[in-house]
Amino acid sequence: MSVLYDVKNLNFSYLLEGVKFEALKKVNLQVSAGEMVTFAGPSGSGKSTLLNLMGLMEQTQNDMIFYNGKCLGLLDETAKNTIRRFDIGFIFQSFHLFPVLTTYENIEFFLIRQDIAEAKRKELVEESLDVLGISDLRDKRPTQLSGGQRQRVAIARALAKRPKVIIADEPTASLDQKNGEAVVDHLFGINKKFGTTIIVASHDPMVLHHSPKTLYLKDGELQSKAGV
Amino acid sequence: MILKFSLRNIWRQRSRAIAVLATVSLGIAALMIYHGFNAGIMNQYRENTIRARYGHGQVNTKGYREEIWDKPWERWIDPASPFVNDLRNRPQIQYVFPRISFYALLNNGEKTLSGAGEGVDGKIESGFFTTLNVIKGKTLSTEEDGIILGKGLADALKLNVGDRVTVLANTHAGSLNAVDVYVTGIFFAGMKSFDDTFFRIQLSKAQELLDTTQVETIALGLKKLEDWPEVEHWVNSQPAFEATAFNVLDKVYYQNSVDFLQAQFSFIFLVIVVIVILGIFNTVSTIILERKGEIGNLRANGDSHKEVMGLLLTESLILGLMGATLGVVFSYLCNVTLLANGIDMPPGPGITRQFTTFVELQLSFIPVCFLIGILSSILGTFMAARRVLKMPITELLRG
Repeated sequence: MSVLYDVKNLNFSYLLEGVKFEALKKVNLQVSAGEMVTFAGPSGSGKSTLLNLMGLMEQTQNDMIFYNGKCLGLLDETAKNTIRRFDIGFIFQSFHLFPVLTTYENIEFFLIRQDIAEAKRKELVEESLDVLGISDLRDKRPTQLSGGQRQRVAIARALAKRPKVIIADEPTASLDQKNGEAVVDHLFGINKKFGTTIIVASHDPMVLHHSPKTLYLKDGELQSKAGV
Repeated sequence: MILKFSLRNIWRQRSRAIAVLATVSLGIAALMIYHGFNAGIMNQYRENTIRARYGHGQVNTKGYREEIWDKPWERWIDPASPFVNDLRNRPQIQYVFPRISFYALLNNGEKTLSGAGEGVDGKIESGFFTTLNVIKGKTLSTEEDGIILGKGLADALKLNVGDRVTVLANTHAGSLNAVDVYVTGIFFAGMKSFDDTFFRIQLSKAQELLDTTQVETIALGLKKLEDWPEVEHWVNSQPAFEATAFNVLDKVYYQNSVDFLQAQFSFIFLVIVVIVILGIFNTVSTIILERKGEIGNLRANGDSHKEVMGLLLTESLILGLMGATLGVVFSYLCNVTLLANGIDMPPGPGITRQFTTFVELQLSFIPVCFLIGILSSILGTFMAARRVLKMPITELLRG
């Protein structure tokens, strides 16, 4: 498998009320295409920061993340936008669905931004609805959905983009046990069926229990690369 | 797609849209009504001036008004001359009012006071000069021996409607002459110097009194105010005559008052515009800040700053347009309901009586309102969005 992410000696710090806080310290890791990796660790361990850097949502400080062989720190804004638009699907803890759009429209939205033709869009949306088992929710708006349903819509939206990688930050944190398990099952299913690389940040024991590869972070340092 | 998404955002996020629409529409309605109120007062001043005394303008022989003449009657106009006939036939001119003004003494049998008289063709003038504010009796019309006079003059002479008064003046030959007339009406124009001295009798009586067949001035009533420059140009192109507009004839009362009010109104208008713009800015900025999560989601999924800005500006353009439209409609609704009976005003500069003014909404001002509404909405959005877009995506997603 080819290396999708190559993280070398990554440091990241930010100022908290004037005090420098080292969020990541000399992190080294590789994520191969098609892998499913979970970053685990307590709050403040740096897992979300690492995820944000890998998702190009935060500017790197020492240019030590390589995506598909490209150094992220050297990419201009247009190139980063293109990667985010075509290569990465995001799943957020608080879903971030557009409240004014229906389930179908939410899933379709970023496909339109990719300039995909209508017929192809329909095919992708229908398949995503089908994979997540939410075809019956297609005309509902987010406010008419439960938390679990909303997260499934968010996963379907990420999946519909057919991204190289799906980045999920605490995808089960807002859900109960049953819905959390369903979300994890769907992520595994997508990883297996579509070969999509999936990177999750979570401290949910249920997610960690099912994860094929878990990397532990503590105080910004990677503790182990061993799988669980 | 952007348009569809924007319309969805407006339609489905109603409380947000209503906040912007309410701010823009109320602001625009306030501007429309205030502008219409100003226009109402200005137009009332103008109409008062035109329809109380001067008409749209007056014609005299060249140089007559600027210079003092030993024998002014030698510079008067023959009302049967070809020039006056031509005037009557001008398409823009509806009325021709030959007049003579003169100083005279008025005697009620007990007391004599001086006054400024005017001989007019009452029959024609009564249809046009309608804002003299006759408070007793009626305006001078077909009454051959009639006189109307100002309230101050009538009070000083203790005259009432139907009373007899003798008007004494010098003929142009220098001999004293007198005519007896009866009070037809008493007016209260609201200008003290005018109400205390002015009176009108029939032109034929004035000509008899001054022993002349000529007239001093020809006042004009036009079909439209806008026609004045054309009429003025034509009169001034005649070798022996010149035309003077009403605002020049009545510079002290009309033009100075209007200039004073206009300066005051312009300043207040500017303050209102600033308040309206700041109000719109504040509302749209607050709403943009509330949408940080949505903006973060768009950015995370590859939308550039320009694309997000395009989306937000499209929405603000639609809201600005809708708000301005609602504001204009609202101002017209207010005008035919709450403001239908006008606004009672205290005496304005140059006048002593109260008056009622009406809000005269100006169609020509609507584009300005649209421009203010749309630009404020767009600029407010642009400035807030620019600030928000500088934030890292992770911070935006935290909302």
